[in-house]
Amino acid sequence: MPGREGRPVGNVTAERVWPWISTVARLGLAAVFLTAGGLKIGDLAASGRAVYAYRLMPFETARTVGAVQPFLEIALGLLLLAGLAVRLSAGVAAVLLVVFIGGIVSAWARGLRIDCGCFSAGGDLGAGQAPTYGWEILRDVGFLILAGILLWRPVTRFSVDGALMGPPSPPPSPSPARLPAKGRQR
Amino acid sequence: MTSASKARERRAQARRIVEEQKARERRRRVTLWSTIGVVIVLVAAGIVGYSVMTGQQKSNANKLVTPSVAVDDGTAFAIGSGPVVIDLYEDFMCPVCHEFENASGATLQQLVAEKKVTLRYHPVAILNESSNGTEYSTRSAGAVAAAAMAGKFLAYHDVLYANQPQEGSDGLSDAKLIQLGASVGLTGSSFADAINNKTYDAWADKVTETFAQRGYTGTPTVVVAGKQVTGATGGYPGPSDLTAAVAKAAG
Repeated sequence: MPGREGRPVGNVTAERVWPWISTVARLGLAAVFLTAGGLKIGDLAASGRAVYAYRLMPFETARTVGAVQPFLEIALGLLLLAGLAVRLSAGVAAVLLVVFIGGIVSAWARGLRIDCGCFSAGGDLGAGQAPTYGWEILRDVGFLILAGILLWRPVTRFSVDGALMGPPSPPPSPSPARLPAKGRQR
Repeated sequence: MTSASKARERRAQARRIVEEQKARERRRRVTLWSTIGVVIVLVAAGIVGYSVMTGQQKSNANKLVTPSVAVDDGTAFAIGSGPVVIDLYEDFMCPVCHEFENASGATLQQLVAEKKVTLRYHPVAILNESSNGTEYSTRSAGAVAAAAMAGKFLAYHDVLYANQPQEGSDGLSDAKLIQLGASVGLTGSSFADAINNKTYDAWADKVTETFAQRGYTGTPTVVVAGKQVTGATGGYPGPSDLTAAVAKAAG
């Protein structure tokens, strides 16, 4: 990755710890998307209704978005689980999360009373139930932070990326006295 | 430093640079192909999702049997013949619908008896995820369609609420649905067959879709003369809210 060179020697510990933090973030985010998609994929019509409940698009469009979304979420979850093109996968996850947060904020701002449909087919909210937008946004922001960690530090353990890339090459600047940066990327 | 050692140093450095370039080239290739891989996986997932959806819609359309007694584009069962139309959207798994029925059922029937209103019951299925995969919402909506075909919509509707299963349980079994039908006089084999064969289940999905398409998201949804009515503090309307809305709609 660019921008790595010239890190002070005192950061060697950080260099060793970050891949593990990123690995936890990657697997956590994978679990989030696999769960979210898995809970919706069994009832695509309900997922479409949940999207339409946001009143942001026509019914037919919402139905298609609602049907495609759980498949995308599961695919993204699998990509993160495998660790393929982690920075790109995390970027896609971040874009999705920003869209979801935007949707919830707009539903809140317009005074809609809906279930966000984040981890369920959602849509409906019983007459006695109050919406929990604040908590839903907070939760999605937490997931966004996980994606942010991966965008910033995409090098993780147990990833396809690591297996394909092999050990990182020394930085381009010719300085023979440099310590070998061993095992950063596996 | 001797000139020989200088030359060695230079050769070593040249080798390093070549290796670095090779490694960079390899990483560039891996990044390119893994990016392409991710894009392909995501696009493929989208295409799969889309085709699964259209497949399900087609299969539902093929299975659709609309009960001939249904009104409002075949999505509701009418009770009464008064001038003001009240549309009721309810899910048999919805506990709040049960509360609404307990609170306002008698008032609604009173309004019917006074020939002030026509009730149109839309049995929607939005709580299928609350019956452990048995799809009680769909099954009960299909069953009530079979009851309506035998002319016993309201009696069966009421007995389903009186025996409402706990939200999140398996719901009532098909056998129990048939048995409850018998308790209100639905003893014909066509009623039991319709439940066992899931004759009207695709229709229940259509009712639900119409409900969503009209912009409603929760149950119970009560619409008097085209206008959604809620209680004073939101939530479902009480008896006085209903009579007031009906009086206003009647002019």
